[in-house]
Amino acid sequence: MTIKENTNETQKLLSKRDLNQIWYRWGFTHLSSMSYEKLQGHAWAYSYLPFARKYYSNDPDKKRRLLERHSMFYNTEPQTGQIINGIVASLEEQIALGNDVSEEMPINIKATLMGPLAGIGDSIIQGIIVPILLSIAMSLAKGGSPVGPLFYIIAYGIIGPTISYIAFHSGYKLGVGALDTIVGENSKRITDAFNILGVMVVGALAANTIVLNTTAKIPLGGKSQALQTVLDGIFPNLLPLAMVILGWWLVSSKQMTATKVIIIMVIIVTVGCLVGFF
Amino acid sequence: MNNLFFPALLTGIFCYLGAIESPWLFGMSGGFYIVGRPLVAGLLVGLAFGDIKNGILCGLAVQAVFIANLSTGGATNSEITYAAYGGIGLAMATTKNPAIAVTLAILIGQTFGLIFYNGRMALYSFWNTRAENAAHNNDDRGIILNHLVYPQITTFLLRAVPVFLAIYFGKGLVNWLINSIPKIVTHIIQVLGGVLPALGIAMLMSIVIKNKSHFIFFFAGFVLLAFAKLSMIAIVFISALVAYLYYMSTSKNSATSATSINNSEDVIDTDDKYEDEDLF
Repeated sequence: MTIKENTNETQKLLSKRDLNQIWYRWGFTHLSSMSYEKLQGHAWAYSYLPFARKYYSNDPDKKRRLLERHSMFYNTEPQTGQIINGIVASLEEQIALGNDVSEEMPINIKATLMGPLAGIGDSIIQGIIVPILLSIAMSLAKGGSPVGPLFYIIAYGIIGPTISYIAFHSGYKLGVGALDTIVGENSKRITDAFNILGVMVVGALAANTIVLNTTAKIPLGGKSQALQTVLDGIFPNLLPLAMVILGWWLVSSKQMTATKVIIIMVIIVTVGCLVGFF
Repeated sequence: MNNLFFPALLTGIFCYLGAIESPWLFGMSGGFYIVGRPLVAGLLVGLAFGDIKNGILCGLAVQAVFIANLSTGGATNSEITYAAYGGIGLAMATTKNPAIAVTLAILIGQTFGLIFYNGRMALYSFWNTRAENAAHNNDDRGIILNHLVYPQITTFLLRAVPVFLAIYFGKGLVNWLINSIPKIVTHIIQVLGGVLPALGIAMLMSIVIKNKSHFIFFFAGFVLLAFAKLSMIAIVFISALVAYLYYMSTSKNSATSATSINNSEDVIDTDDKYEDEDLF
C-alpha cells in the first residue's frame, strides 16, 4: 500500500496549488533574511520545503542536494525576477520526475538570469512605474489630501503582485524557452519605449515638485519690481530647472554621490539666502 | 505631551512593516514599495498622530527628495524607511513643518539609518550561516527559524525600538533646536526643503536618460507642466502616446533593415511561444 502510494506520488506533476505555494513563499520572504553575503538566497530553500516533502520525503540525500543548491547567493528584482522562479520550478519538477535534466541546470539558470532580470526589473519598476505612480499620487496629494497616498497604495498594491504572479506562471510555462523572450530584441524595444515614457514624466515631475523662488528685486523704470514676477513671465520654473540640471550634471557627468550633491546644494542655498537672493 | 506614547509606538511598528526585509505585505511589493514610501508614510504617521492633513504634507515633501530611492544589489545610500518614519514622525511630534520633516529625514537617513541598516546586514550573516547549516542537515525547522523567525525578531527590535525612542525622547531636543536657532537658519532650511527634491529627480534622470537625445523628452515633460499647466495624469497619457509612437517607429526600422539579420526571426519565434500555451 505504502509503496503504491509512493510511486503514484513521484509521478505527479506540480499542481496549481504547489506552484502557487512556491510563488508566494518566495514572494513573501525573498528578502526576509537578506545580508550582503546571501541576499535572497535562503528564500529559495524555504520556498522548496513543501516541494521537498512532496517528492523527496523518502530520499533525504536528494532533498539535501535540493536544499543546498537553493541556499546559494541569489539577488534579483523580486517582482519581475519571479520569471526565474517559474523556470526553475519547471526544471526542478523535471529533475524530481527523473527526467533528463541535470541538477546543475537550475543553479546555472539562476546565476545567468539574475543579473539581466535585475537590470530590466529595477529600471522599469524602480525607475519608471513607481516614480510615475508616485508623481500622480503626489499631484493628487497637494494640500494634504489622502486621495494621493490611497491612490498609490491601491495602484501599486495591484500592479506589484500582478507582475510577480504573471512573471512566475509564464516562467513556468515557458521553461527554458523563456530565455529568448527575456533577453531578446523585442523586450529591449519595449524597455526603450517605457524609458521614453519615464523620461517625460520625470520632466513634468521636476516642474511639479521643486520649489525655488527668488526674493531679489530689480529696478525697472524708476521703481523696483520682483525678479520672480519677471522670470515667471519669461520662463516659469526656470530656477527649479536650473537646479535639477545642475544636479543631473553633478550626478551623471561628475559621478558625484548623493551626499556630495546635498552638500553642494546646501552651500548654494546658504549663500543665496545670506546675500538675499532666495 | 503625555499621549505621545502610542503615536510613537505605531510609527515604530510602521517603520518595521515598511522595511525592505519585512515579509508581511507580500515582501517588497507591499512593504518597501508601498508602506516604505514617504508619501504613504505621511498618511500612516498622520493617522497615528491624528492629523492626516499635516502628515500627508510632510510625507509629500519627504517623498519628493526620495523619489529616486534605489536599492540595487541590496546597497543603499540612504535608508529610506528610517528616514521617512523617523523624519516625518519627529516633525509631527514637534512643529509639523514639512521643511523640518525633510531636513530631519535626510539627517536620519544618512546617519542613524545607514548605521542600523548595515548593522542589521551584518547580524543577518549570522542567521544565514545557521540557515545554511540547516540545509546541509535536512533540517526544515532550522531553515524556517533562521530564514524567517529570528531575522524578523532582530529587525523588529532594530526598527521599531529606535524609532519609538527617537520620537518619544527626541521631541524635546528637536523642539529646543528649532526654538534656539536663528531666523536665517530656519529660512535656509525652508528653502532647502524646496530645493532638495532636485537631487531625487536628478538621480532619477541619471537612470532614465540613457543618451543625450532623451533630454528632449525630459524638456517636453517639463514644458507641458510648467508652460501648458497640464495635470500630471494628462502628461502620463501624452507620454504613453509618445512612448507608443517610439515603439512603433523602432519596430518599423528593424522590419525594413533586418530581413538579413536573424533577430527579426527570433522576434517572430518568441511571439509564437507566447501564444502557445501547451509548449511545456
